[in-house]
Amino acid sequence: MAFIEQLKGELKKLFARPRTWMGYGAFLAMEAVILAVYKLEASQRHMRGIVERNGLEFNTYYSSLTITFTIMLLSMFLLGSIYFALVAGDIVAKENEDGNLRMVFARPISRLRLLLVKYTAVCLYTFSFVFFVGVSGYAMAVAAVGWEGGLFVMEPKMKVFAAYPDWWEGAWRLALSAAGIGISMITLSSIAFMFSCFRIKPAAATIITLTILFVDMILQGFPFFKPYESYFVTWRMSAWVFLMEPHLSWPKLVESYAFLLGLNVSLFTIGWLAFQTRDFKT
Amino acid sequence: MLEATGLYKKFGGKPALDDVSFRLEKGEIYGLLGHNGAGKSTSLGIILGMVAPDRGEVKIDGVSVQKHRSKALAKVGAIFEAPAFYDYMSGWENLKILMGYSGGFDAKAAEEVITRVGLEKRIGSKVRTYSHGMRQRLALAQSLLPEPELLLLDEPTDGLDPEGIKWFREFILGLRKEKGMTVLFNSHLLAEVELMCDRVAILRQGKRVFEGSVKDFRDGEPVYEVELESWEAATVWIRGTGGEILDGGKISLPVGMDPAVAVEGLVKAGVKVRNFAKVRRSLEDVYMEILDGKGSPN
Repeated sequence: MAFIEQLKGELKKLFARPRTWMGYGAFLAMEAVILAVYKLEASQRHMRGIVERNGLEFNTYYSSLTITFTIMLLSMFLLGSIYFALVAGDIVAKENEDGNLRMVFARPISRLRLLLVKYTAVCLYTFSFVFFVGVSGYAMAVAAVGWEGGLFVMEPKMKVFAAYPDWWEGAWRLALSAAGIGISMITLSSIAFMFSCFRIKPAAATIITLTILFVDMILQGFPFFKPYESYFVTWRMSAWVFLMEPHLSWPKLVESYAFLLGLNVSLFTIGWLAFQTRDFKT
Repeated sequence: MLEATGLYKKFGGKPALDDVSFRLEKGEIYGLLGHNGAGKSTSLGIILGMVAPDRGEVKIDGVSVQKHRSKALAKVGAIFEAPAFYDYMSGWENLKILMGYSGGFDAKAAEEVITRVGLEKRIGSKVRTYSHGMRQRLALAQSLLPEPELLLLDEPTDGLDPEGIKWFREFILGLRKEKGMTVLFNSHLLAEVELMCDRVAILRQGKRVFEGSVKDFRDGEPVYEVELESWEAATVWIRGTGGEILDGGKISLPVGMDPAVAVEGLVKAGVKVRNFAKVRRSLEDVYMEILDGKGSPN
């Protein structure tokens, strides 16, 4: 019960800060731009080409579900990661920098408990943010092209191709993939959270996290690393795309998410050890 | 109530605290004095479990802070110099969040404390709009909400105007009188410490160089302001009695020596005495003497 109270307080703090809302604003603006692009004749022609080359009917798959999928696929790793790293990088380091932690440490709460509260808040923020992007993207897409139509999925990197002409099946897969992205992105937040527990500035925690993410993505693209791609964090984080496959491969999904879970636990533990052994001068 | 034993802490190879011990009795106001860097804040950090000592231990009501921090701090409130609240939230929300870490928020108790510290009209405003004095009142409110038995004050009156300092002092003294609260007062404002504390410890370069009651300062070795024609003969006579020549035309006499006997002795030694008046030794006098190395460490 006390944990819930503390978590509520942490979330209240998180959402009372203007920078937490920056990501929401940025995504709404980006979704509007993507929709505007989708409405262009040239863009539609390009998409028609892709869909029809795969023997599918364009009118069925030029839909709000497909647009929402594209928004999430294109934006989450590049734009979303910035805001996840920003919020998670701030959560401990900023409070330390501002001196708020002194006030908290005058309270009878253990450091582990404090970190668990903060980490849970970061995970909830990350997960709910992905759903916000999905729901807002879908709402805007519905306003632009209507609600009907199926879902067309093409992700060459992870070799996933699927088409769901039925709206219900498409919507269910999209919701499932949003949950998958949410869990995947928690790993990124965990990296930033770990650095936030160190004796560094909040901006440094954010920048180091993004550097790790981008270096991982760049190296993964090297042909030399192709046989080792499954060892890259971003490859494992992309496992959510497998949720779009017509026949769900549970071993493949479990393997990737177990990898990410183990990584998250390790990152939290390292952060906690660093935080636990630190001195906080008044 | 609080017992600090053999505290030792090194920062960057240099000892910030070197075998410091002190003890606070229930209902006592204890001052921790020293220059910047003397080890006052490190002591407070160790008491709150924010700093891990290399050696030594702090016990609050018999419970070790180093071993059972949460239990030890259950009835402790603390105020810091320039308290850092969540500026983007209201005073009320800040109290609610901070109390969430202390076992829950009681709105009725909070209202009472807020009224008591005189913040009832502004408690709904964002903290970023508060003056320094108002922040300090909010800090006081958050420290009082867990109904503490021990209050730790780290330079709480720094930056306050004289009116604010007086209000703060009277508030703390009132708390002690009313609730028998024990207070550790960490400050370099000697006049405030003298007005508030029962006992003080002086830290110098991480070492405790003095501990004693404030009353002892006043009633200890008597000091006199004297105006003499010849200091040469007077110095010989005074030192011969075991007294001392102090700065600023002051002398101290051995405890128990009647000043009339001293005047008579000086006159007999051929010294013309124009003025001989007892002066009250302030804490500042003692503090400066000790830090200058003239006082005797204990």
